[in-house]
Amino acid sequence: MKGTTWHRLAVVGSVLTIAVFGLLLGDLVWQGLPQVSLGFLWKTPSELSSLGGIGPELLNTLVMVGAASAITIPLGLAAAILRIEYGARPGFLLVFDRMRYTLLSLPTVVVGLMIYEWVIAGMRWPLSVGSGIIALAVVNWPFIVDVSVAALSGVPDSFREASLALGATKYLTLLRVVLPSALSALVSGVGMAIARLMGESAVLIFTAGINVSRHWGWSAPGETLAVHLWYLRTESVAPHADAQAAATGVVLLLLVGLVLYLTQKLAHWLKPMDT
Amino acid sequence: MTVHQKNLRTERVQHGLFLAAAALLIAVGFAFWGTLGWGTLRFFLQHGLNRTILGLRYHPIQGEFGLLPFIAGSLSVTLIAVVLAYPLALSVAVTATMVLPHRWLPAIRQTVGSLAAIPSVIFGWWGLAMVVPLVRKLGGGTGFSVAAAGIVLAVMIVPTLSLLAIHAAMRVPERWVEGSLALGATPDQTLGRVVLQSIRAPLAEAGIVAVGRALGETMAVQMVIGGQTFFPHNVFAPGATLTSEILNDIGLLPPGAFGHHVLDVMALLLLLAMYGLVLLVERIGGREIG
Repeated sequence: MKGTTWHRLAVVGSVLTIAVFGLLLGDLVWQGLPQVSLGFLWKTPSELSSLGGIGPELLNTLVMVGAASAITIPLGLAAAILRIEYGARPGFLLVFDRMRYTLLSLPTVVVGLMIYEWVIAGMRWPLSVGSGIIALAVVNWPFIVDVSVAALSGVPDSFREASLALGATKYLTLLRVVLPSALSALVSGVGMAIARLMGESAVLIFTAGINVSRHWGWSAPGETLAVHLWYLRTESVAPHADAQAAATGVVLLLLVGLVLYLTQKLAHWLKPMDT
Repeated sequence: MTVHQKNLRTERVQHGLFLAAAALLIAVGFAFWGTLGWGTLRFFLQHGLNRTILGLRYHPIQGEFGLLPFIAGSLSVTLIAVVLAYPLALSVAVTATMVLPHRWLPAIRQTVGSLAAIPSVIFGWWGLAMVVPLVRKLGGGTGFSVAAAGIVLAVMIVPTLSLLAIHAAMRVPERWVEGSLALGATPDQTLGRVVLQSIRAPLAEAGIVAVGRALGETMAVQMVIGGQTFFPHNVFAPGATLTSEILNDIGLLPPGAFGHHVLDVMALLLLLAMYGLVLLVERIGGREIG
């Protein structure tokens, strides 16, 4: 067929992209998967031998991401509800939008610097699980606002009008009509936020630290999987740090994939029949 | 008290809570601006203007705070990444929306979305395993370089950029494409003059989002750029970006240490850059504001 040169080039570009990602994921799985075992998943890391594991990192990742999400999902949803359902003076909304977009695109290392100055240096907290949770919450908040705004805007105005016309108050409309209709999109958006948070590392290096303690606790150092991967690949002197980094990467990817898969499934199941 | 009055009271409380959450977000944002602005002010009061932003030498212990190497590093890495990633992302979008059958589109979007969730340290790991040796072979030196960082970043932003481009291309009505083809335009002409032409604004917005991600990425860059504080005179030279240098120096210059506030200056530059990008998107009109 004539006149399809650019289409052919696009296909070549796509094949190239697939090849690059195939190489990336293939190399990671090839080097990392042989190292992954049940022992690797629960043992503590070791600088002296290649027999260490990532048990504490796994626990830290789950607890810190869970706690940060638990703090930011209600806060983010509430701010998004104000933005879409209730509204405010235009000036307030303009400042709100500019602020949330700026915070959303802000490099997370800058958030890390702020948390370091406020919480570690200012409030004298240790590099710990607790400081890390606060850092992750600040990173996650604008993202949750963003996905919530998108989910709420997806609800047709006719739903709200019908509910208000039947005499429901704004709050009842929100509770019984808008939130149930937006639930599917909310779940899938929150899933993306959690997946992103699991891979977050720049904000944690100087707030949660790059090591783990023998005893788990709120004020114990809270290295996560992503930070551990960075640490192994840049600073560690452990034998086979490379392969261990790859194995950590495989576990991290599996975790992210699992979160995305489960939330997508749940979102699909929650999807209203008629939309 | 009737049910209605009770509902109204609940609503006032709810409204107050939602307003408080939004106000708190704005307050956190202003706290960022305030802390970084105050830190920058103190930096200039302490060290003066001359040996700072416009200098080429960065040696914080000796009181030399030239930030030009990092600004140059950030800009060149971002430029390389966006120039490499944009054609690839456009290719993916064109292939997904105009070449492959439409029933594959949901699966493609799902896959691209999942790739966008790959943590940045994994791209850094891959950069060390493959890109750095490749650059070493091509350009000599150690391979830890601005070029390696640019390539790693390019791969990292391709999924996000593709997803935005696919969303933009999906907005083009099918009948415009059919109309153009029916008038005798070739597929290429239709692509260039109808499809891409009609989604210029969202494509520009996607580009700005990509610039923001590339400029703000820390980990993947820090792992492959080499962390040198000299001015990178060519792309195969090692360097540092504003973000990677902040990460390297938080430990060296903790709050209270001599020269700590140079980190505030770097962070404020990044904050200003991101605010500029937000205003730019607002001007283009891709997002609805207000």
